[in-house]
Amino acid sequence: MATTGTYPAFDGLHPVVPAAYFCGVIMVTMLAFQPVCVGISLAGALACSLAQRGCASTLRGLRWQLPVALLVALANPLFSASGSTLLLRLGPVAVYAESLAYGACMGSVLVAAVLWFEDASRSLTSDKLMALTGGAWPTVTLMASMTARLVPELVRRGREVSGAESACTAARPSTAAGRASSRIRTSGVLMGWSLEDSLVTADSMRARGWGAAERRTSYRLYRFADRDSAALVGVVTLVAAAGVAAWIASSGFRFYPVETALSPWWGYAPVAALAFLPSALALGGRLGWRG
Amino acid sequence: MEGLGVRGKALVMRDVSFSYPPAPGGGAVPVLEHVSLEVGEGAFCLLVGHTGSGKSTLLRLAKPELALAGERGGAVEVFGRDVSRLSVGDSARLVGFVFQDPDAQMVCDSVWHEMSFGLESLGTPPPEMRRRVAETCHFFGIEPWFGRDVATLSGGQRQVLALASALAMRPRLLLLDEPTSMLDPVAEKSFLHALFRVNRELGVTVVVATHRPWPMVDYATCALEAGAGAVREVALGPLRARPSLGVPPSPAVPDAEAVRADDVWFRYSRDAPWVLRGCDLAAACGSVHALVGGNGSGKTTFLRLVAGLGRPSRGRVRVGSGLSAHVALLPQDPKALFVCDSVAAELREWQGRAGYPDEDVTDVASRLGLSGLGATHPYDLSGGQQQLLALAKLLLTRPRLLLLDEPTKGLDARAQAVLADELWRLAASGAAVLMASHDPNFVRQVADVTSMLFDGGVAATEKTPSFFEGSVFFRD
Repeated sequence: MATTGTYPAFDGLHPVVPAAYFCGVIMVTMLAFQPVCVGISLAGALACSLAQRGCASTLRGLRWQLPVALLVALANPLFSASGSTLLLRLGPVAVYAESLAYGACMGSVLVAAVLWFEDASRSLTSDKLMALTGGAWPTVTLMASMTARLVPELVRRGREVSGAESACTAARPSTAAGRASSRIRTSGVLMGWSLEDSLVTADSMRARGWGAAERRTSYRLYRFADRDSAALVGVVTLVAAAGVAAWIASSGFRFYPVETALSPWWGYAPVAALAFLPSALALGGRLGWRG
Repeated sequence: MEGLGVRGKALVMRDVSFSYPPAPGGGAVPVLEHVSLEVGEGAFCLLVGHTGSGKSTLLRLAKPELALAGERGGAVEVFGRDVSRLSVGDSARLVGFVFQDPDAQMVCDSVWHEMSFGLESLGTPPPEMRRRVAETCHFFGIEPWFGRDVATLSGGQRQVLALASALAMRPRLLLLDEPTSMLDPVAEKSFLHALFRVNRELGVTVVVATHRPWPMVDYATCALEAGAGAVREVALGPLRARPSLGVPPSPAVPDAEAVRADDVWFRYSRDAPWVLRGCDLAAACGSVHALVGGNGSGKTTFLRLVAGLGRPSRGRVRVGSGLSAHVALLPQDPKALFVCDSVAAELREWQGRAGYPDEDVTDVASRLGLSGLGATHPYDLSGGQQQLLALAKLLLTRPRLLLLDEPTKGLDARAQAVLADELWRLAASGAAVLMASHDPNFVRQVADVTSMLFDGGVAATEKTPSFFEGSVFFRD
């Protein structure tokens, strides 16, 4: 499907809505250390990633995330020998089932948090982040915007400079020392180039009234409408409900020495509603779309 | 109104002098001496003159926050107001300024933020700002790329954005310092067209400093020439003349093959669109071969592949036997080659690696007009001199295959003639020259063979005279 991968959640809403959502869901994920809550959050993050980033890039990410999770799960028993169900003994180290479960839970929290951050970065582009801060700190926002321009430019120019040197074959460094000095040379060229450009940039800012007003204003790319305040109230309520539910679930749960019983299924409903909100919205948006 | 002659004066200078502060051990350097001039409201005025004739200084004197350090005298008035008494905000509202470099004058990362930068500085209320940005973008046709990042724009689009973001503040006088010298001729034409509309439709007075007046003469209403500290009015007609580059020493006799590309396919990443799709090309030693074609037709990419800076996804690029150790590439921006503090050191940077004698340095420097500039910092040279310095650096490595990417950018007539001489000399010595260029005037006079790139492949390769005779669209 051609549209896969370009479907940001909360499209068409003021950026403050996705910002509140992702802050809330990441907080709930990191604070609720209980297998069912973690499982729900992980599933929700995966669903959201599939809905807005597409299958290919989600799988590409999982290629490194799953091994890391596995490593954490397997490493935990080595460091914490607690629990009551002995699985096996590796020399002096005893591996308990509870300890393994704890590790698996920790690995899942890690993957879920990474996935939520990836989802957030897809929804909250730099433009949207700036729209959040623009009203309160226009100058900070401007500086963020300038940095966002300069960093990729520096990388691009670095490639251009080293390319220009290595394309000139007679002047190509032949020794290891020569190659090392050519890297230093690249940074020297970049430094000179950037300093020179910054003088022009400063002139360009002055020519357009830099410092003329007591206080800078901000261009508003996004309007905050009634719809947005309704959505924001909804998201905040959901986050609060999920937070309470997750707190109840995780405060009544212990891994050690024996895993305690889980709360009844309906105790997780708010967490599930929160975790699957963006994917449900995306799915609903796609199914309900009429041309 | 014009008929009655009561239109005001947009810019008036009375007895203006300026000199740079004295260098250690020297006297003050006068740039302008007792200059008086008037530019009427609604004029499109060209300010011509050679590099170093004080054009930029003159423009900056009318914009106090850009003024250079130095001694000044006389009075500068914009619409009857003394500029030295203008506040920063008033100056921004009254006088817009567009610089030469399309990259460096961008401040923000996205088009919408760049457009609103000036209005944000002036503290314009958001509803008013929204309206002005919308109007200005509509006028310049920026809407399709309003949401894009500045980094993804072409040089021509950036320069139009610089113009638009100055005009969002609704200035009545617009000063431009070599605004098109870093653009290719196609982008230059569309920029000038936008500028023309600003002048005629919006009534904004325009003063453009340039050392290449010929593309602008049709838009202009008057011209001033700066030189030897003075400024005088000149007629527009003679400025129309294009540079003549002289005659090649002898018709080159192409011999061995220097470059052969067979069915080359290339893209920058796995999911990116193809830049080259089945490109075939052969260039011979002893000739100057030009690549022409629009932006994004793959000229730069092709040169990079020949220089070994990338590997074709399919097909091959072969460089003639014995040439691969003697390749040199002149990048679009000569600054990519500058690392030293002086021209002299720059010319010797590769002496150790490439092993050229001191006589060569002196010889090349004098041929390219860099002799007296040994102690100058490369960044203090004009754009054209920078281009020639970069070329000199490459020539010193004695290339047998010279690749040039838009070598005529920013060159005035004199520097173009110097460049043409060097390319002919190189070809006559049996080396191969392959250049990507947007400049039909230069290609027509200098290249032996011309290939046109289109849609990722070579659409035509012909001897240059027949290429231009058979073309209706390539006119200079």
